[in-house]
Amino acid sequence: MSLIDTPLMRGLERVMDLSAFRHQVIASNLANIDTPGYRTRDVRAFAGEIEQAMNGGQAMFGEPSLSQISLSQPSHVQPWFAPVSHPIRGLLERPDGNNVSVERESLLLAENQLRFTVAAQFMKGEFHKLTSAITLGGSSS
Amino acid sequence: MNPSITALRILPADVATAPAGVPEEGKFFETLQQTINQAEGAQGDAASQVAALLDGKGADVHSAIIAVEKADLSFQLMMQVRNKIVQAYQQISNMQF
Amino acid sequence: MNLFGMLELSGSALHAERQRAEVVASNMANAQTTRTPAGGPYRRQLVVFQAQRVPRFSLALAGLQRENSSAVRVAAVVSDQRPSVLRFEPGHPDADAKGYVAYPQVDPIEEMTDLLGAVRAYELNASAVQATKNMITQSLSLLQ
Repeated sequence: MSLIDTPLMRGLERVMDLSAFRHQVIASNLANIDTPGYRTRDVRAFAGEIEQAMNGGQAMFGEPSLSQISLSQPSHVQPWFAPVSHPIRGLLERPDGNNVSVERESLLLAENQLRFTVAAQFMKGEFHKLTSAITLGGSSS
Repeated sequence: MNPSITALRILPADVATAPAGVPEEGKFFETLQQTINQAEGAQGDAASQVAALLDGKGADVHSAIIAVEKADLSFQLMMQVRNKIVQAYQQISNMQF
Repeated sequence: MNLFGMLELSGSALHAERQRAEVVASNMANAQTTRTPAGGPYRRQLVVFQAQRVPRFSLALAGLQRENSSAVRVAAVVSDQRPSVLRFEPGHPDADAKGYVAYPQVDPIEEMTDLLGAVRAYELNASAVQATKNMITQSLSLLQ
């Protein structure tokens, strides 16, 4: 992917991967809002992840994903780490052991969706830029 | 092996037999080879991701779509490189007397 | 995002909350039922929610950790174990020897609160489905 990858694209793709994963976790929290004993889960803050991805470094958080290792990747590409979720602390617990907060999950649902949308829009821009560079570059001569 | 890409490995006859005075191998062909390999790899990756997505095997929608876009870009790049090489060789061979 | 699994996950919550609402409706409808085919007054019903793995998620692609996503299901519908409410009504056909009639332990306020909780949870999960669909649409727009 080296000829048509830009650092920004790598970072954006990582943002989209993490946002999609976080959406899954948030939806699980919402589905279990009335399940006795269920603990809220979330991913760790991913501010540093994007920069790492853009600079071609390894993902900071996560565990190796079996499927990514089995897909034939060129050897110079860093192994892609699947994000993980953790139970989070500091939330108010109800008598039945459930600590899911409606406000927190609703807010995160909206914020996460927005982050995904923004990344997708910038990604689209990168694709258009590359398409222009490929098809219009050097058309003279 | 994608048949359309395989066909592109076979350049037109007048380019394959390089005119006298032109270096036979070199950077042009290396770059073309690189782009062809990349395009093939990208197409394969995109195909497998889309298949996994549609099979309900738990693939991510956005990953498959990004893979398809990258395959498309790789293919376009390869076509452009090939066209430029053919163009350059034709110009050079027209200079022969 | 994982297309099929996500919709199934939120769908499981919609299904479970709807079952909860149905149980509330049954309780309210039978709040005054003093005789049942099984004998005795109607017993208040409650649902027991339980987290479950989403069947469609492929473990290999979703990562090794199983807790990353969990759907929900109604594990059981159980009867309230509290004793029935006894009211003194000697003329009632179902009165016992001392003139007390056993009524279901259904409190309308308790039931309405439960119903409101079910409705709110239903709406939350419906908005999660909307968010999923929105993100898929955003992904598809990358192809333009």
